[in-house]
Amino acid sequence: MSDSPPASDGRHGVPWAQFAKDLSDPAKAHDKPEALDDLRVLDVSSGNFAALFTSSILAEFGAEVIRVEPPTGDVARLYSPEGVTHRGTGLAYLVEARNKRHVTLNLHTEQGRLLLVRLARHVDVLIESELPGQMDAWGIGYRQLSVLNPGLIYLAVSTHGQFGPRAAQVMPDYDITDQALSGVPYVTGEPEGEGPAESSAPTKQGNWIGWYVGGGFGALSVLAALHWRVVSGRGQFLDLTPSEAEMRFSDAGVIWYHAAQRIQERVGGLHIQVFPYTLIKTRDSYSFVAGFSDVNFTGLTNIMGRPDLKERFATTKDRILKARELHQELERWSADLTAEDILHRFQDYMVHKRGPGTVATARLNRPEEVLAEPHWWERGVLQKVDDPDYGELLLQAPPWKMSRTPPRIKWACRPVGADNEHIYLKYLGLGKGDLQALRTAGVI
Amino acid sequence: MAEREAQEYFQWTAALFDRARVFDKPEALRGIRVLELTTLVLGPTTADFLGELGAEVIKVELPPGGDTMRYVTPEATYWKNASLGFYPENHSKRHVGIDLHAEDGKALFRQLASRSDILVENFRAGTLDTWGIGYRQMREGNPRLIYVADSGFGQWGPFSQGRASYDAVAQTVSGTIAITGFTGRPPILCGIFIGDWFGGLMGATAALVALHHRDRTGEGQLIDFAQSEGLIRTLDWTWVRLGLTGRDRGPAGNRDEALVPAEIFPCRDGYVAVAAARDAEFAGLCQAMGEPALASDPRFATLPARQKPEHMNPLLDTIRAWAGRLGRAEIEAAGARHGFAATRVATARDKHDDAHLRARGSVWQYEDPLYGEMVEQGPAVKLSETPARIKWAAKPVGWHNHDVLMRLLGLSPSHIKDLEERKVVGQWADRNGARPPADWSGGPRI
Repeated sequence: MSDSPPASDGRHGVPWAQFAKDLSDPAKAHDKPEALDDLRVLDVSSGNFAALFTSSILAEFGAEVIRVEPPTGDVARLYSPEGVTHRGTGLAYLVEARNKRHVTLNLHTEQGRLLLVRLARHVDVLIESELPGQMDAWGIGYRQLSVLNPGLIYLAVSTHGQFGPRAAQVMPDYDITDQALSGVPYVTGEPEGEGPAESSAPTKQGNWIGWYVGGGFGALSVLAALHWRVVSGRGQFLDLTPSEAEMRFSDAGVIWYHAAQRIQERVGGLHIQVFPYTLIKTRDSYSFVAGFSDVNFTGLTNIMGRPDLKERFATTKDRILKARELHQELERWSADLTAEDILHRFQDYMVHKRGPGTVATARLNRPEEVLAEPHWWERGVLQKVDDPDYGELLLQAPPWKMSRTPPRIKWACRPVGADNEHIYLKYLGLGKGDLQALRTAGVI
Repeated sequence: MAEREAQEYFQWTAALFDRARVFDKPEALRGIRVLELTTLVLGPTTADFLGELGAEVIKVELPPGGDTMRYVTPEATYWKNASLGFYPENHSKRHVGIDLHAEDGKALFRQLASRSDILVENFRAGTLDTWGIGYRQMREGNPRLIYVADSGFGQWGPFSQGRASYDAVAQTVSGTIAITGFTGRPPILCGIFIGDWFGGLMGATAALVALHHRDRTGEGQLIDFAQSEGLIRTLDWTWVRLGLTGRDRGPAGNRDEALVPAEIFPCRDGYVAVAAARDAEFAGLCQAMGEPALASDPRFATLPARQKPEHMNPLLDTIRAWAGRLGRAEIEAAGARHGFAATRVATARDKHDDAHLRARGSVWQYEDPLYGEMVEQGPAVKLSETPARIKWAAKPVGWHNHDVLMRLLGLSPSHIKDLEERKVVGQWADRNGARPPADWSGGPRI
């Protein structure tokens, strides 16, 4: 099979990079099996890209994911910059509908809820993002569905969670509020008094990082629950809040407060734990540069031709506490250099081992400049998907290379209700006539 | 929903997820052993997320300095001789110090790998292969091994060769920084190691996918994960818009360009995020602002209308003016009353002091045998049957040498002593970050 050893192995065989590429090149993904093709997932979430990213991950690894939308389509299909749509669907949804079947079902009707109960008997995982308690009140929550399907893994996404003092508080889940609660914006951005008031404020990440982190944890917990089900035969209820998920990432935030009653504040492009580890202005753009431990800082000052800086900023603590001053020195050096010059000097130092220390740099790339780097295309990170319903779409591919069960994109998206006939026939035996009656009744 | 029904539901969830009962329940990944040879944040978080779910994690470090993260801590300050930056990604692990440059050290590492289910490393591509302890060699002794190779740029491809990478390199090359912050201002770094943490989450997720494949077939495999590629994956509609319209994306400040309204606003005593994309939520927000007519104004009545820039801008100005007159708690209460999303931008103190987060275990308080009272960010997801948990805090380099070498590998005390004398096995250097607290009296190493 694909993961068989090459003729000669070990240190004397083919170079590691070649070996690793032969094993894991995503260009060959379609010839290999899928890890989760025994899994069925019902995603009934509403306007929630944390839930959608969870089901995307499962679908990329081969699960049959059935997206259940209201007859008018999920509101998530409207989320788009300036409201731009492509063939009737907003841009964001086109990214997170990959490999998913799309059916409609009106959960606001009794008949719709009965159909959901019947579908839920057939699946391994159900994902929802209603306000906590709503599904339960409708009779289609974990309590009710797990009676019929004890192996069910039920993932509920919300901002404050299913239990705890704030659980009952009405709070629709959005990325921006998840980010805010995580505390990450508080420590991101320019400090008070630096530049105009508008920008010297806690700053959100431009993308939906709260939702993506939440969605990643959703997939992680579903997979852990799946392993537990293999062991025990039992399903369970998973309570996911993207806000707490992103908060889990907040470095030393809570423990620094516990240990020293210190609150981390904003430092813009500087850093409070490591320095130099920062963005500097170049002749043409900006570059990130790092050389933060004593030995790595030596490497950096060697490249700059400024050994005197080693004495002025001798310790880690000096460099962090006098970061602003050191940053000025770095920018004095980089003012006449392009980002490419800096990369060249760093690589020369590293590859030819011209001195001690590990240094790293990168040009600040706009997305369009990311597309211009052949590296990402060779690695299959970005992919032009030819979708039968939506035409050619440029999508970010699944980020893992795997030797035996690689993830993949099979199709990008489906129109609202496009798989009604297939799915309702396959799981509930409903024919065209039945579906027509349900359509007339406003159920699908 | 009816109030009594709702009350009954929340009583049921409170019992189902009760933080006090966490240790009375089994762990999802019990019996799964993770061997990590990692530094900084990306690799350690990969293993840590698996450890929270019940995997047994053995962390191998090169003595006596150990993991570089032991020396990365806010403002270079140490607490009880340890790095505050090291705790958040190193829980409930067993710390072993092995010199992997020594042949006998490699042999020990191979033995540990042959007894493990998942191996996590984050060295530069090919390093462990050169050392003779990489995937190629390890799978020989253990074909069931799941090998997670975390890195900045992957195990192959032009950037994978000789190029060092950190979290912020991933932020820089992925486009993340270019779409964050304010137009006309210098670029900013995310205030946390977002590329590392997200990368660790993705690495752990793929490990569990591979575990499912192994549950079915018995086969292990290689996972090549690059953190730069993880961040590229998170840039939502950036790439599809470039592909369809050729339009590049830049920073948009504190507003969400795809949902309207959604922005972070200054208020009287801090900052709040407010969002109301669905029309009913928006009507609630208008009600709260005392401007109910806005909800039926054709410029704002539907999401597609609000998304038009000429409508979005005046609308956000109106909300900003309203929010500026109120405090954080007032705006949060208005959201809860009128059904839109509103919340403070939390500080570390907000999180530390929050009774809700404590009750949920998202802020996790426990007593560590070496460090005493600990309060940290806790496991993110709550699993009703197999809850995630923190058992103990990170420990000094080589803290569990005897425990692992004797009780797992079965080495005799004299054998271990010999390895120590030959510096194949070692423990902490006498410096902050590596060593135990000053008041440690040399008691048992739990």
